[in-house]
Amino acid sequence: MPFLALVLTALALGSLMMATGAYAADRSPMITVGTQEVGLTAGYMLPHRLTQDHTTKQQGPALMPSWMMTVTDPVGDGWYRGQVSIGAEMVYIQFREPFLTHGVGFTPKIKYTFVGWDRIRPYTEFAGGPFWTDLAGKIPEESSRFNFVLTAGFGVSYFLTDRAALNIGYRFHHISNAGTRYPNLGLNASLPFGGFSFFF
Amino acid sequence: MTGQMFSRPLIGSMLAMTLGLGTGCSHWIELAAPTDTTPPANATVATDARVPLLLETIRVTHNGSAIAPPTILERQVLGAIEATRLFSQHYQSGHAQPAASQARVTVRLSIDNIVEPHAGQAAWRGLLVGASMFTLAPFIPLNYDYGAQMSLEMERWDGQTKHYSATSNGSAHYYLFGANPEVIEQLKGQVTEACLSSLLDQVIQDSTFFLAGNTQPQDRPIRTVSVTVRRPSSRAVPVSRSLPDSSPR
Repeated sequence: MPFLALVLTALALGSLMMATGAYAADRSPMITVGTQEVGLTAGYMLPHRLTQDHTTKQQGPALMPSWMMTVTDPVGDGWYRGQVSIGAEMVYIQFREPFLTHGVGFTPKIKYTFVGWDRIRPYTEFAGGPFWTDLAGKIPEESSRFNFVLTAGFGVSYFLTDRAALNIGYRFHHISNAGTRYPNLGLNASLPFGGFSFFF
Repeated sequence: MTGQMFSRPLIGSMLAMTLGLGTGCSHWIELAAPTDTTPPANATVATDARVPLLLETIRVTHNGSAIAPPTILERQVLGAIEATRLFSQHYQSGHAQPAASQARVTVRLSIDNIVEPHAGQAAWRGLLVGASMFTLAPFIPLNYDYGAQMSLEMERWDGQTKHYSATSNGSAHYYLFGANPEVIEQLKGQVTEACLSSLLDQVIQDSTFFLAGNTQPQDRPIRTVSVTVRRPSSRAVPVSRSLPDSSPR
């Protein structure tokens, strides 16, 4: 856990540094078309063995720097009022179990952010893309090192200032090779995460 | 020979990437041709016949919902009127006022903004761009439409009023990597400016209506001033063109 502790400490310190101007600029964040978001997210992967054939308890910390572009102004009325962002994310996972191995991926990402609650903004997100890991081949579920990762999840952003937000959330994480080699049972996991974003 | 075989694909790839990035980061603004046919107007008026103007109210709606007029819009409106030089002084409600006994023209402006961000289209196209690992980013444009309809009521010191109206529309087109809040602000600014110009052209054509009687003493020569509508440097044109710079002016 030292890696995760280090990352979470860095996130916390970063958030505290951002929070110094939080109350000086006490106005609602204005995220409009063309606003870019750069973020850093960290989490810990916890395994789900969905069938009896799944035996691997893969787990470890994950780090996900991301970039997003807001492509709509807030649309809709009521609780679902929100806006769409498109972007991409790098994902690095250090598998601590069952073997110390690594995984790196690149995932285009789409996010819908609900904007009806001022500084607190829930969101849902979906991402998918290629993923390389040397864990495959050492476990019964996956045979090829080249895989794909699909994630879907939700989270909440709290805007510390009108340009910086703290995020926490949950993702369901799936890794498989799309049937390019067998066996291909896939690896499934929960990924609770935390991080922060800057908007410009 | 080997060097040539490597260099050609390399050069080709670099050219394709440069072209793709260049296109993927571009944006442009189109203003629709004005619907009214008021020609650009100018006139010459006696300096001393001009009266002060009081901008009493600006009412703004955004897709039908009333919003508080942004300060920058108030300044833009007052600046455009001031630039015509049709009035001797310019006041705004809530600030310094002309003397109660002084002849003045009172202005009430109503602006209805129509915004169409094409949110559904942007979401689907964005999804497509993302699914293609951004390779389609230089080929799939996103759109944002903005329109302004202005109604101007000008009341003379004796209670007579005149009404003017103008409409202007425009669209911003951009690729994903060319999206920028400044693009949308430029679109709104250009549409507003074009609409204001059209409105003030109509006012200039009625310039004599807003002048006080001849108060010029007989022993002094008549001084005159040319009144016209200030033309923005980025004049509304019904053709598309790329904006060379998206930085704030």
